[in-house]
Amino acid sequence: MPYALGIDVGGTFTDAVASDGAGRMVSAKTPTTPPNREVGVMRAIEDLAGELGIGVGELLSRTDYIAHGTTASINALVQGQVADVGLIATKGHRDAIYIMNAEGRTLGRSAHEIQDTLRRRKPAPLIPKYRALEVTERVDHAGKILVPLDEDEVRRVARTLVDQGVEAIAVCLLWSFKNGIHEQRVRELIHEIAPDLYVTLSSEVSPRIREFARTSTTIMNAQIGPRLRTYLLPLQQQLEEGGLKGPLLVMQSEGGTITADRAPEHAITTVGSVLSGGVIGGMRLAEQLGHHNVITTDVGGTTFLAGLIVDGEPVMAPGSIVNQFPINAATIRVHTIGSGGGAIASVDDGGNLRLGPQSAEAVPGPACYGNGGTRPTNTDANLVLGILSERGLLGGRKPLSLDLARQAIREHVAEPLGLTVEQAAIAIHEVQNAQAGDLVRRAVVQAGYDPRDFVVYAFGGAGPAHCAGYCQDLGVREVVVPLGPVASAFSAYGLAASDVALSAELSDPVTFPVDHTVLESHFAQLEADLHRALDRQKVKFHDVSLHREIDLRYSMQTTELATAVPDGNFSERTGDEILERFEEQYERINGSGSGYREAGVQAITYRVRAKASLGFPVTLPEIPAADGPDPADALLGHRSVCLDSQIGFVTTPVYDYALLRSGHELVGPAIVDVPTTVVVVPAGVTGRVDHLGNLVLRYQ
Amino acid sequence: MTSRIPGADEFTSRPMPREELLRQISPTLPLHQVDEARAEAVDALTYEVVRHRLWAITQEMGETLRRMSGSHVVTESNDFNFSICDELGEQVQVGTFNIGLIGSMDLAIVWTLRNRSDNPGIAEGDMFLCNDPWIGGGLHQNDAAILAPIFHEGKLFGWTTAIAHQVDLGGPRPGSFSPSAQDVFGEAAPTPPLKVVRGGVLQRDVAEAWVRRSRLPHLVGLDLRAKIAANKNAAEQILRLITKYGADTVKLVMRRMMDDAERRLRAKLETLPDGTWTAVGYQEQSGTGDRGLYAIKVAMTKQADRLVFDFRGTAGQTGIINCPYPGLRAGIVFTMLPLLAGDIPWAAGGLMRCFEIVTDEDTITNASFPAAVGKGPFGPAWGAGNLVAEVLAKMLDAEPDHRTDVQSICNGTTDLCVVSGVDVRGGGSKGFVSPVFDVMAGGYGAQVYHDGVDTGGRLIIPSARAPDVEMTEYLYPLVALWRREQTDSGGPGRQRGGMSGSVCYVQHPDQQGTMSLVVSGTGKVANQNVGLAGGYPGNSQLDLVVRDVDLPQLVDAATIPGGLDELGGHVEVLPCEGESTLGPGDALYLHWQAGGGYGDPLLRPAEDVRDDVLQVRVSTAAARDVYGVVLREDGEVDPAATDGLRQELRTRRASGAGLPSTPPAAISTPELEETRRLDDNLVVLDSPDGGTVACAHCGTEIGPLAGGDFVAALARREAAPTEAGPHIWHDPTEYVDAQIVFRQLFCPGCLTAVHSRVVPVDHPLPVDDYRSWA
Repeated sequence: MPYALGIDVGGTFTDAVASDGAGRMVSAKTPTTPPNREVGVMRAIEDLAGELGIGVGELLSRTDYIAHGTTASINALVQGQVADVGLIATKGHRDAIYIMNAEGRTLGRSAHEIQDTLRRRKPAPLIPKYRALEVTERVDHAGKILVPLDEDEVRRVARTLVDQGVEAIAVCLLWSFKNGIHEQRVRELIHEIAPDLYVTLSSEVSPRIREFARTSTTIMNAQIGPRLRTYLLPLQQQLEEGGLKGPLLVMQSEGGTITADRAPEHAITTVGSVLSGGVIGGMRLAEQLGHHNVITTDVGGTTFLAGLIVDGEPVMAPGSIVNQFPINAATIRVHTIGSGGGAIASVDDGGNLRLGPQSAEAVPGPACYGNGGTRPTNTDANLVLGILSERGLLGGRKPLSLDLARQAIREHVAEPLGLTVEQAAIAIHEVQNAQAGDLVRRAVVQAGYDPRDFVVYAFGGAGPAHCAGYCQDLGVREVVVPLGPVASAFSAYGLAASDVALSAELSDPVTFPVDHTVLESHFAQLEADLHRALDRQKVKFHDVSLHREIDLRYSMQTTELATAVPDGNFSERTGDEILERFEEQYERINGSGSGYREAGVQAITYRVRAKASLGFPVTLPEIPAADGPDPADALLGHRSVCLDSQIGFVTTPVYDYALLRSGHELVGPAIVDVPTTVVVVPAGVTGRVDHLGNLVLRYQ
Repeated sequence: MTSRIPGADEFTSRPMPREELLRQISPTLPLHQVDEARAEAVDALTYEVVRHRLWAITQEMGETLRRMSGSHVVTESNDFNFSICDELGEQVQVGTFNIGLIGSMDLAIVWTLRNRSDNPGIAEGDMFLCNDPWIGGGLHQNDAAILAPIFHEGKLFGWTTAIAHQVDLGGPRPGSFSPSAQDVFGEAAPTPPLKVVRGGVLQRDVAEAWVRRSRLPHLVGLDLRAKIAANKNAAEQILRLITKYGADTVKLVMRRMMDDAERRLRAKLETLPDGTWTAVGYQEQSGTGDRGLYAIKVAMTKQADRLVFDFRGTAGQTGIINCPYPGLRAGIVFTMLPLLAGDIPWAAGGLMRCFEIVTDEDTITNASFPAAVGKGPFGPAWGAGNLVAEVLAKMLDAEPDHRTDVQSICNGTTDLCVVSGVDVRGGGSKGFVSPVFDVMAGGYGAQVYHDGVDTGGRLIIPSARAPDVEMTEYLYPLVALWRREQTDSGGPGRQRGGMSGSVCYVQHPDQQGTMSLVVSGTGKVANQNVGLAGGYPGNSQLDLVVRDVDLPQLVDAATIPGGLDELGGHVEVLPCEGESTLGPGDALYLHWQAGGGYGDPLLRPAEDVRDDVLQVRVSTAAARDVYGVVLREDGEVDPAATDGLRQELRTRRASGAGLPSTPPAAISTPELEETRRLDDNLVVLDSPDGGTVACAHCGTEIGPLAGGDFVAALARREAAPTEAGPHIWHDPTEYVDAQIVFRQLFCPGCLTAVHSRVVPVDHPLPVDDYRSWA
């Protein structure tokens, strides 16, 4: 029996899933073991083998591939624990990374934070100025060399950086994405001096116009690449020595994997790997359930994450922001707010109730954990409302203190607002639902879609307690709470179920439509690049599909819209066809009548994405069917629960998830206790257990 | 309002009591109104949810505008804004983009209600277009607003607005700014509110009349659609909110948001000292060929929970350096919101209830028709804002809990240089007009506990941006030889002002012909980016064309010039207001403004100066001459030499101030724990006559606090401007006739600088009256 493994190395836990492709799936959860994370990975694999009742060697020898996601790189960037890097820039333009287009004060900050103008500063520079050096060379907007590269100067500069002891060098020259020859020569000259030094070229890692974001991306890639290499290579070696049959793959932000030996040179593409895992998990579940349009919501301790799947594919973004620095790496678009289970509720000077973005984090955690936290959180409110019981989660292994929760809410919310503790608790609960609902709605609407065409998936520890609430105003058709064997390791499931994904792009800003021969030659070049890159993966693919797109905009706009390009041969009609698609999409997002072709259209970036399937069906197993819809056998008892400020506390049945069967139907109000979470079914909502063990909520 | 043109005063808008405004609105326009007394009846939960939604709706307006606009001013520089207002135009929620525009949006709605409600009427599905700076909805003709009424069940429920700067709306010069205009008839035409959307349909005749005036009609057309779409989306969502919570509840929340903001700002004001603080600044040159200096004066009085800004004494309107009343109000708003209300929700309608304006008529900050006003927002309005920032900072500095809110003045204005020509690269022939936007990366002023942010943007546009060089080179036939942070540009101080930058362009090698330049900037001699508490000003703005450079258009170049001294050719200094050209053999150099410093640079920790030198923020020479810090060959601080040099510099200050040649008092840390502070340097000791001001660094008693009399007892030195550092322009006669000096006031004991300005020699001494503390 062959296996596919998904391993998600989070900040706190390492989650793992093994699937045999024939309906059997097991999961494991072990503590992450920094700085030697490979120890935790090996333990998780041992646990999987144990669950399957086989030895580790046997499991590895039957494993077709391991798909791996890690938060190590993103955490290293966020905490600044990265390699010492030098930068080589075009003469006169070293400071692009310091000037940050002046937007460094505010990039990635919320409007509330931006408004607090005196408190907004630029982040600490990615590298000190004395490690950022310039070389004489100049390429123009068309890729023409205006000033040749001064090779002697490059040698001097490289020597200076090497003498400073840098672990890597980032090279970002102006217009290198139009003509990379100078960057390539700089790398050769560096390697003459330091043959093994890790060097990142902007024209390879991010061949896109706009030097600030490209430089930022190139530097960050150089900062995390060397250490990703020193982590992955021994892990791969250890796994191979343990008998691993297939490759070790690393998940990328854009939702597909690359092989571990190629990952370090494209390290920056892996920073969002764990976030993407959840969306990919949602995508696979959607395939099994026959859903085309899905909003995935993942509510953890500190953050609320929302992703979109449209027509079976995740909605992508061209980049992201870390520490107020931009990253140019295609990523599954994940919308975030600091509104997880640990979000702290407070009343500001003006008597406004606020929730988050501060979080009680894992330590001290919500007040009710009894670990010294005194500020009230969502979790405390849910305890006061009876949604959680004092027995807590994990079968009573983590009991909660109602007294501490009440005290925190009384002191920080109820008394300042003149409310009772219960009123304050339901206010917190409803504000959380409203904030989350807003985020989800914006995510859908901004992408140009109508929430009524979507189904919501709600996972993460705190999602199921709130999803019926935050989805109520969206008008979605139904809300699916994925339960079953991978409920607590959904992201790892997504990893196991992923494809290999690669993309290639080139920037060629020009008025559109262009002649079809230009389209033909650009896409031929990109597709040839991709096929070469796929060959380098050394994996046997089941099936490879390519998707072409062009980023278009109305002349002079600076925001582009990725527009799909038809497959097959190009004809004289193709340009117009693409233009029509662009305008149709534009009007869908911005409203009918907003298009303005008179202004002219420009093409900026051409891109091809390759998706190569590994041909391993990672499907969720079915659960036993119930005799009838009545779930009485699963009834644990009753609690007094408040789910709605208009209704107040109501005696509410509580069900044990372990005893629910396919076909059972719950009529709200009801609560379902799951070992790792609790599901709320409010009045006016029914919950049906589906054949995979998911709870499907519907509004009446 | 005393225009020489009969009837022109009709086209002005001033804040007006709600009752008075209601009387002036046509009875044919039904209004949705609520009883304000019920505002507290909305429960905390509903209030929070609705408030949150309104906030989210404005965010989405900004995103729509950014996404759809074609103007680089919008997409690259964020010079736009938007708001949600109640039925009478009071602003409930505003964006964090150009916040000066907030000071004018409500005025435009007030005017529209008064003058359009009967004819042509204000009805469901209508939108109004306006770019009249006397009416509001923008600060000069380039700011074009779309005002959109929202109706619910046939009643006017509220308004949304969207405004963006348009690069060109006609007039004699590309970019619509003309430094030689005699009056507004020599600029782009102002347009009072026009019904551009009627019953939900864009009116082709109006829209085409609008774009027809521009050199860039496509851009203007695209932005028109962007603003309409942003308003439409917002209205849909507000109506959805009304459907769910009821119109009265939503309106009550809106009222309460403004009341809440007002209450919180008033509560903050209550905790601050009462008194009157003054500031005087200058506009340099009133137009092409002029050599004058024109004063803007403000005296801010804070009494209990209200502020009065008195601008009487400001110069009479002249040349092109004028703004109408909305500009003056904007100057206050764009400074007050970030400095006093960073932690209060920007329900701007409530915040604006907390101040009053006193002004003469027909001045450069309250100009009547037909004065030229194209420079309004970045000339006199911004200048007034700098002065408001200065007086607010002095008030905040005197209250220990608010010293974190003190900030020296940021870049004193923009460095405007509009480049236009015909792009012939690649065999094409396309006209272009664009300001150089690199200048958006101005330096921020230093704070009490932090250096100013280097190339941080603009205070008045909290989320300002500058474009990438590659985007500029793609769009325009220019090549940037460099764009860099400029060493030494930040105002020296105990906390250093944020650096500005410089950029140098030549024509692309394939380009032919001569480009036109229109330039404008004040702060080239009498610095507007002043430092506080003895901190020095940031750099003088400097704009040059270098003629006949050694490597014209970089043709066959093997090197790239790294600075002005490597360009060759000869320098033409561009005036404060004027026009020039950029030929194929020339280079254009712009060095925009940095932020002012805070505190005396001789008090900056030597290790911080060492780090500045290491990171190329300060030169070794300036470290020595301005900060008095001596670095050894290995770059480390030489402590003994530094102490000696700092003592020597103080002695030089003493002799420059005419003090007897006794050595300056030693810097110490006198026991001042419980003592009232005015700022970094000055404390107040109890005394029968209402307090004696003393030096915080040596304990020297200076003079009485009452009426600001201690100022006369400070040591004073007036020196050449360059004494302030290498970043200050050496030859004021290039620009103005007035004699310009670097004036410093010192503690007469230890010679610590408490005030350092580059000003005309007749500039008044500071007059600040700290009356009482809360």
